[in-house]
Amino acid sequence: MSTKPVPHAKAGAEFLQEKAHLQFHDERLWDIRQKRDHQMHILPEWQELRQKASEIKEHTLANLPEYLEQFERNAKANGIHVHWARDGQEHNRIVGEILSEHKAKSLIKSKSMITDECEMREYLEPRGVTVTETDLGERIQQLDDQLPSHVVLPAVQKLTGDVAALFAKYYHTDPNDHDPHSLAEAQRQAARPVILGADAGMTGGNFLVAETGTFVVCTNEGNADLSANVSGLHIATLGIERLVPRMSDLGVFIRLLSRSALGSPITQYTTHFRKPKKGGEMHIILVDNGRSDRLAMEQFWSSLKCIRCGACMNTCPVYRRSGGQSYGAVYSGPIGAIIDPTFNKEKYSTLPFASTLNGSCSNVCPVKINIHEQLFEWRRVLAEENEIPFVKKEIMKMAGKLLSSPRMYRAAISSTNIALKTMPRFVLYNAFNQWGKHRELPHPVSETFNHWYRKNRLKQSGQTSQQTGAGGQS
Amino acid sequence: MATHEPSARDVILGKLREKRVPRPTDYPLPGIVTLGDMDRSVKRFEDALQLLGGDIWAPQSGETLEDAVRRKFPDAGSICSATDEFKGTLKITDLKTLQEADKVDVMVVRSPFGIAEMGSIFLSEVELHDHLADVHLAQHLIVLLSRTALTANMHTAYQERQEFKTAGYGVLMSGPSATADIQGVLIRGAQGVRSLTVIWTD
Repeated sequence: MSTKPVPHAKAGAEFLQEKAHLQFHDERLWDIRQKRDHQMHILPEWQELRQKASEIKEHTLANLPEYLEQFERNAKANGIHVHWARDGQEHNRIVGEILSEHKAKSLIKSKSMITDECEMREYLEPRGVTVTETDLGERIQQLDDQLPSHVVLPAVQKLTGDVAALFAKYYHTDPNDHDPHSLAEAQRQAARPVILGADAGMTGGNFLVAETGTFVVCTNEGNADLSANVSGLHIATLGIERLVPRMSDLGVFIRLLSRSALGSPITQYTTHFRKPKKGGEMHIILVDNGRSDRLAMEQFWSSLKCIRCGACMNTCPVYRRSGGQSYGAVYSGPIGAIIDPTFNKEKYSTLPFASTLNGSCSNVCPVKINIHEQLFEWRRVLAEENEIPFVKKEIMKMAGKLLSSPRMYRAAISSTNIALKTMPRFVLYNAFNQWGKHRELPHPVSETFNHWYRKNRLKQSGQTSQQTGAGGQS
Repeated sequence: MATHEPSARDVILGKLREKRVPRPTDYPLPGIVTLGDMDRSVKRFEDALQLLGGDIWAPQSGETLEDAVRRKFPDAGSICSATDEFKGTLKITDLKTLQEADKVDVMVVRSPFGIAEMGSIFLSEVELHDHLADVHLAQHLIVLLSRTALTANMHTAYQERQEFKTAGYGVLMSGPSATADIQGVLIRGAQGVRSLTVIWTD
């Protein structure tokens, strides 16, 4: 693995040149953010749900070894094989061994961030295992040999024409057919024979339930239920932080997950696996890969509460305008920027700077991770350890100034949807800023920071306890 | 297994026990949460189901279930039934291979309960007679459901329905399979069923 820092700003600037892509990406993600807000507004209990979700996760993380043991006990009692992997390499070796014991050469899988994290396809393919992603977006990314761009929308950075070109190359479809319906149908038709002939199936998972030894997979396409059930062998890979104590806790998380992710009330499929199917074999791999180290980090352990909804990505003005590929990491966006450095501090040293610290990520987070504070904290840590170049240090001084002035900071983070939809101004008018250079192309900004600042400050006078916890001030 | 080298399991659990940065005493387990709308009406279920792309289909007066399904899918070649209360062209237990299941146009199942908040229906190995993949390989799904088998929301579902603790495989389906992975265009019918239709049986 390279330790050269990911050139995020440069890659992001390149994405800014792709005007059609940029505009779609920006608008698509903002639309999802608004759909999420709509769901929030129709549930009066939304903030209480977030609070409970946060408390349940904090409790679980504080008692993680005990709950993992409880989960293992129950899963084993139900006939599931439970494996533990310290890192990606160990994970891949375990998968390879299970497949080779079954002489399985064709593996179909549903989308799983953790198998990308472990670089599992790269390990299995040279060993003669054909790995086929069955989620449409993830398959598009696999064909294009790219990492997922987004935790729930892997190919959101692509336009229909890009998919048409890929499918023409690999599925021999008409390159001029730019109808998403016929392209999706082409994927269904191409995938079905592979699914029917697969030797083994693999899924990730969203939740582990300690009380029952269950794992839960939330998907929309039906591909996970097919991948898990068509063959006699189902391997599931989950991070050790995915636990909840009780079955009833799922009520809180399922209500929040898809609403936060896509603005839809629930995923089309919410599947609970508790036992191998009749005559079948089921394996769960519990993966650490840096999570136990992260849990021991005073400032950063709470990032393990993340349920991978992607709401922080959809709301982030930097992510929307730089695209997931520019992060050069499995996890992109604000959540990626705070967890990637725990995998490799040098390589991902640039990512905590891919933020305006506007706080929107924290406001929309369904499990209340203080993402923007952790972004700032990472900058401090990286600066102390001299991992950052001069320009970034300058930006950080500004952010530091801003954060050290509570009134100014409040003004920035309580900005309206309009302000967030464009760009928090303190960064926009920073001459060093890579984002500001291009900002005025897609959405011209008609007022200066000072103007905006005065106007908004005046507007807010008398509202000293303005709430910032609603995720959307809309 | 070599005894001199600690297992991955012991190493991971050992590391997790080493520092205990979030301290157990600081983070008590919250009580069981029951929040939100307790309405478990048919209307709420139908509205939620339709939002997620599912359909409601009502038999006309004097019409059998079989006739109603035939009217919905006049061109269907094979209609496969997973329940004794519906006579299809074949039974789910007749399906011997995945290839046979792949040819099923319409699958008819009975769901033990639905969730009004989400328009979700539940299926497990019990209703599917262990043919877990077959229901997802079929092109269309018809779900028979009782109006009295609705629970209000996800909290009540997980607290009241024992199936979550007894089923080996339990899926909540909320409308048909779907994707929006190509330029955000919503498409119903991705890898699983292309449509999901609920018929009330009482």
